[in-house]
Amino acid sequence: MKLILKFTLLFLLISLGVFFVGGVITYQVVKKEIDEEQERFLLERLEFFTNWIQKHSPEEAFIREKIQIYPLNAGHETDVVFSDTVVMHRTLERLEPHIKLDVIRAVNGRLYKISLFEIIVEEDDIVDSVRESMIKIYLLLTVVMLVVGSLVGVILFRPFNQTLDQIKNFRLDQNSPLEFSKTGTVEFNKLNSFVQEMTGKIQRDYRSLREFTENASHEMQTPLTNAIGKLELILSSGQLTEENNDRIIATLSTLKHLSKMGNSLNLLTKIDNREFEKIEQVNLSDKLNAAIDNFSELIELKSLDLKSEHEQNVLVAMDATLTTILINNLLSNAIRHNVEHGSIKTFLDQKSLIIKNTGPALGVDPQAMFDRFRKDQRKGDGLGLGLAIVKKICDYSGFQVQYAYENENHKLEILFRK
Amino acid sequence: MSGRKNFKISSKTDRIFVIMKILLVEDNAELAQNMHSYLSKEGYVCEEASTVEQATSKLVGFKYDVMVLDLMLPDGSGLDVLRWAKQEHKDMGILILSAKNSLQDKIEGLELGADDYLPKPFHFSELNARLRAIFRRRQLQGSSTITCEDINIDTETHVVKVNDEMLDLTRKEYEMLLYFVVNKNRVLTKQSIAEHLWGDYIDALDSFDFVYQHIKNLRKKIAQAGGKDSIQTMYGSGYKFEVYQ
Repeated sequence: MKLILKFTLLFLLISLGVFFVGGVITYQVVKKEIDEEQERFLLERLEFFTNWIQKHSPEEAFIREKIQIYPLNAGHETDVVFSDTVVMHRTLERLEPHIKLDVIRAVNGRLYKISLFEIIVEEDDIVDSVRESMIKIYLLLTVVMLVVGSLVGVILFRPFNQTLDQIKNFRLDQNSPLEFSKTGTVEFNKLNSFVQEMTGKIQRDYRSLREFTENASHEMQTPLTNAIGKLELILSSGQLTEENNDRIIATLSTLKHLSKMGNSLNLLTKIDNREFEKIEQVNLSDKLNAAIDNFSELIELKSLDLKSEHEQNVLVAMDATLTTILINNLLSNAIRHNVEHGSIKTFLDQKSLIIKNTGPALGVDPQAMFDRFRKDQRKGDGLGLGLAIVKKICDYSGFQVQYAYENENHKLEILFRK
Repeated sequence: MSGRKNFKISSKTDRIFVIMKILLVEDNAELAQNMHSYLSKEGYVCEEASTVEQATSKLVGFKYDVMVLDLMLPDGSGLDVLRWAKQEHKDMGILILSAKNSLQDKIEGLELGADDYLPKPFHFSELNARLRAIFRRRQLQGSSTITCEDINIDTETHVVKVNDEMLDLTRKEYEMLLYFVVNKNRVLTKQSIAEHLWGDYIDALDSFDFVYQHIKNLRKKIAQAGGKDSIQTMYGSGYKFEVYQ
């Protein structure tokens, strides 16, 4: 529910209570006013009849509608007393509540008991009219609030919606921090400055983290080059025993391994950091054919039989660099984990890319294949990062990747649409 | 030592030895020192610079045949040196070294006019081979033919002759022979040979044994042409192209 609607409804709910109390108050005020007015009216009439008695000095009781005057022989003067009573209404021909004034007055030396009646405005009538007017006003308020609320909401919340849009489009690797225009609302200004500060800090942290990862990987390469160079110098001196010679060559290969591991981890970090954002329509058929071409010599070297069924012009939306890395990793994997005189089969259509290769069954759980550094212990020379990279690229590009081992074949399937 | 300096380059003037001047721009003192001593043994004259400033001041004062340029320098990017150098010394060959191994750097460097890009870490024999290739491309040694004992390689036409008899080599065999000749009298590991020949695709292979197959074929072809078998196996883990001159 929209905030402005919530606010309106809450307001209307509270108004309901206020209107109820307001109605009671209105009723009481009106009732009091009417009562006072009626009493004043009766008092005026009392003065009128007092004057009348003064002029006529009636000896008999004088009884008319709404007035009774009785001459008294004994007694004393009293104060004016108001009371309610029920009197037959002449025109309505039914009993109606009346207000009654009773007083005993001495006029021209004689005592008179004077009673005056007046029909009163009934409580029911007042309640009805107060209720009716309150309900009408409340309905009017509701309509006005809803209409005005939705209109004003759009205007008032415009800066807020702009902020939301900016946050939605915010990307970690963009270089400029978020910039908000000044609004006339204190809360929105606070929000904007907070978001601006926060995103700025996130960007700075992200940048330094990225620089650290990159630097760590780069800084490693120069000392590695040093070590490799020195070992090569020793190797070329030609004064080594066979044993030491082998040791140095093994160390060289370890150093290369270390360097590649750094590069692969760096690549994973780069993908995580979303540094490959140039999503375009990549012609996967062309890329795959070109990669197979590049690998063909290695495939021949291992006497592998390659069969390809590729649909032409399969377009997928992804980063071109990642496409190349993905395909190279898949093919490299299929060659490396193959057997001599084995086979590789590649299938490509609009829906999926499948790469099958012969090879011995794995010593690890197929589901764990895509974890970093998870590899078959019997094959100790791989990095254990190849499939982690494949998985990462697929996740990043919105593809699904599955592994299965069927009929002595490793099968990697990449589904382009989830 | 003297044997290595006799790397013979045949040319019209039949120069025995051409001194190549190289500027090493590398901020890591140890690596610079290593490259310096390695390349000195190859017969190059090297000078070192460790900052953008040092590099530019050297380039203002002297002329070099090739600059080996690290991209990450303490006071700026090697690309700045590259830009500047390309305007001042159009003839100078440039080999970029980079720890970044990023495609973008590579493309940018090559677009700015660098001759080659070598990611760290590298085998020094690979560095040597790349430098030789730059010299050849830029014709800095006056000719495109390399003669080493009875083997004659024309790097322009890719024709290899042994005792004037033409060898029918595959592309990989040709590249391998050239790598051997350029790095003669040095122990080359299978890995370094494999990386030289296959580059990044090497990751697809679980062993470098196939190098042996290529070497076997190459030796056979040289022997068939009546050439001397100069390729020595070093305890089964490396090879050396041995020349006595």
